[in-house]
Amino acid sequence: MNMDVCNETTTEAVESFPAPPSVRLSEVWRRRLANDRAELVRFWPVVQNMVVTELRVRYQRSFMGFLWTLINPLLMMLVLSVVFSSLMRIEGGGGSYTLYLLAGMVPWTFMAGAVTESSVCIIMNESLIRKIYVPKLIFPLVRVLINLITGMLSLAALFLLLVPLGARPSAAMLFLPVAVGLIFAFTLGLGLLVATANTFFRDCGHLVGVFIQAWYFATPIIYPVTQFEESQRWRFWLNPAFYFIEIFHDILCKGAWPPLSLVLTAAALATASLGIGYVTFKSNEDKMVFRL
Amino acid sequence: MSRSSPTKTRWFSDSEGRSRGLRKDRNKAAEPLIELRDVSLKFVNYSDKSYTLKRAFLELLLRRDRQVPNSEFWALRDINLRIRRGERIGIVGSNGAGKSTLLRLLARIYPPTHGVLDVRGMVAPLIEMGAGFNSELTGFDNILLNGAMLGFTRKQMLAKVEGIHEFTGLREFAHLPLKYYSSGMYSRLAFGVATEIDPEILLVDESLGVGDAAFRAKAKERIRRVMDRSHAVILVSHELNTLRELCDRGLWMQKGRLVADGPIDEVLDAYIQSVNAPAPAAEPDPAEVSG
Repeated sequence: MNMDVCNETTTEAVESFPAPPSVRLSEVWRRRLANDRAELVRFWPVVQNMVVTELRVRYQRSFMGFLWTLINPLLMMLVLSVVFSSLMRIEGGGGSYTLYLLAGMVPWTFMAGAVTESSVCIIMNESLIRKIYVPKLIFPLVRVLINLITGMLSLAALFLLLVPLGARPSAAMLFLPVAVGLIFAFTLGLGLLVATANTFFRDCGHLVGVFIQAWYFATPIIYPVTQFEESQRWRFWLNPAFYFIEIFHDILCKGAWPPLSLVLTAAALATASLGIGYVTFKSNEDKMVFRL
Repeated sequence: MSRSSPTKTRWFSDSEGRSRGLRKDRNKAAEPLIELRDVSLKFVNYSDKSYTLKRAFLELLLRRDRQVPNSEFWALRDINLRIRRGERIGIVGSNGAGKSTLLRLLARIYPPTHGVLDVRGMVAPLIEMGAGFNSELTGFDNILLNGAMLGFTRKQMLAKVEGIHEFTGLREFAHLPLKYYSSGMYSRLAFGVATEIDPEILLVDESLGVGDAAFRAKAKERIRRVMDRSHAVILVSHELNTLRELCDRGLWMQKGRLVADGPIDEVLDAYIQSVNAPAPAAEPDPAEVSG
């Protein structure tokens, strides 16, 4: 049998592949980051498309159409404020209780929704992952972005309610973009972590919902911190979500600039979350396709 | 070709680090588009004994070594392959030989377990019909979405929409959500999108038989045109005559190994001979033939 053995190619191949130099870990991660940045740029239209599609499909064929994105949070807030302010008569942390509630609820809903959806995003997109190459990083990113957009619209709705609820627009609100950026980074890190965990251990998906619910009650959203005695309050410091929510409370309810220590802690937490989430996700990214 | 600079994708499985500028000084034309060095791919089946949180936790607690999953198999073993610009490659082999897995590996869907995979250029996988389609979106939007996934900008894709409509004849349904398409329309659209682009590396997996007879003839003609436009083509098929017609180099795979690599006619003849031969002794020795 006369087969082409390709001898010349193999000798050439040896030339072009010298033994890999041992490279430091930091070098590897730097390259991964650079690589991901390039891929994100290349796949940004896909991310855009997925986000827009999701939002459009959600309101397709409804009479009000895209207006629902604004009406929905408004109605939700109305229900929340009626229920909580009539059932639970709690003294607000300065200003009206309804405003306090809504200011905490908007960022929390974003975070809880994004994390819950991220946990199943890899599994839900199985058919896509097994058929075509798409950087898997975009799936949690898309989930977080969708929730970010609905969260921003809720925030816009909240602004409409701000004056009726008795708050004055203040200069501190200029800090909102930073606050949103911080909670976005924190949530994305958490989303990456949960997405990885749930892909390998499907049990996690069931736990995430319960965990989020417990976390919700452990965070001062429906009750103000002032309900607790000064000596007890340190417990909230153990809760990473506390710092982010508190920034929103400060800005929206008190109309004051959040203290620097609070912002710095939140920034550190966001960085840590994003770092841990990214490293976990990237280290396991290659194995994911085999676990779907 | 509109995309003159190929996106350089380098994959490292075990050997992570390698300096990026390694090939800068090399002559670009002489570079193979695809290079596989000792690539192996192992599948581990966890489904029969699922690796749950409970098990991971127990193993951690009891400091037990992770048990070897009871079913693992090597879908690809020690594949060495270089594909240069202009090559038309046909892959043959019995079912389960790893042909489709190899295509998926080249499309970056599966990462290699061992070895180095180096793909330079945009890959257009025609592996499964309608990969990346969203049934809620209209046909038109799906064209744009699919294009984005393959690395084309909106503008580039808009320029191609006309050509796609012309080929598929689905212009009047372009603004209908994909879920209302019949399966024939669906695959026609998928095929139309995948073949309208100008890929650098085209991977085709037995998807030539789409639709009715008239469409199939059209499809074959179209595949040939994309093959002319792309720099390298890899075709997996059981239709040996098609392969003989379209390809110039043949690969024969058997149980995850590359057993023969050479001019298409010789490889196909050897393959046919071994299929027809009653005894499996006719198989060539893998070590002897593969590169």
